[in-house]
Amino acid sequence: MHIFLIVVLGFVVGMLVGLLGIGGGIIAVPALVHIFGMDQHLAQGTSLFILLPPIGLGAVMVYWKKGEVNLPAGVMCALGILLGGYFGGLIAIDLPSNILRALFGLFLMLSAVLLWRKSKPPATAPAGGGSGNA
Amino acid sequence: MPESRARLFGIFLTACVVGVASGLFGIGGGVLMVPLLVLLHHYGQHRAQGTSLIAMVPPTGLLAFLAYYRASAVDIRTGLLIIPGIVIGGYIGSKIAVQLPAARMRRVFAVILFVLGASEFFTPLVRWAAHSWH
Repeated sequence: MHIFLIVVLGFVVGMLVGLLGIGGGIIAVPALVHIFGMDQHLAQGTSLFILLPPIGLGAVMVYWKKGEVNLPAGVMCALGILLGGYFGGLIAIDLPSNILRALFGLFLMLSAVLLWRKSKPPATAPAGGGSGNA
Repeated sequence: MPESRARLFGIFLTACVVGVASGLFGIGGGVLMVPLLVLLHHYGQHRAQGTSLIAMVPPTGLLAFLAYYRASAVDIRTGLLIIPGIVIGGYIGSKIAVQLPAARMRRVFAVILFVLGASEFFTPLVRWAAHSWH
């Protein structure tokens, strides 16, 4: 259908990921719902598919070279997210689409608050830390 | 900096919670992982971002993805078309980010995200209320 539009959407999402250091999924999901008229479940499943390849690999190298990666903690995070994700997926599939969408809205508001707080430049973290979230 | 076992376990538990959000909302989880590493585990901003990024190099959303896939809630073709744009856009975006005041950009985006979240939250509720009214 709108192949060109989809490719452009990917590009715009990528620009925001690089610019703001926030997750691609958090933008891709509402974009898929509003621009392509996908159902909330389909948009979320498609977003998870997009996030399967290591799109943050380039950014990791930058942090790794500066010694800002804690590998054992990273492994623990990966395992936790893998396991938790399974249960989150199971819960989401059984929820009605409109309830899921309302919950997603709450989650976006929470993320906005966290992002706002992160933008306050504290002494230990200079502003413009780059892409922090995959 | 070596991590004690107790602390690693704490990080694992935090990541499990992030994972549930990841599966529930079809996102990567970095948007939660980074602030939680900073707030709960006292990581510096850069270390939190680097650790969160390396945790997302393996396909941590795989189990959540499979839950959606089994429920036929994945549009693989659209997903494949979005990926190249994200990679190219992400590269260009991070190049631009270096030149711009990141803190202000994050704030502008946080406001947009909050408004979007509020609309995602209230639209289904309003529809539902309108339905049950008639």
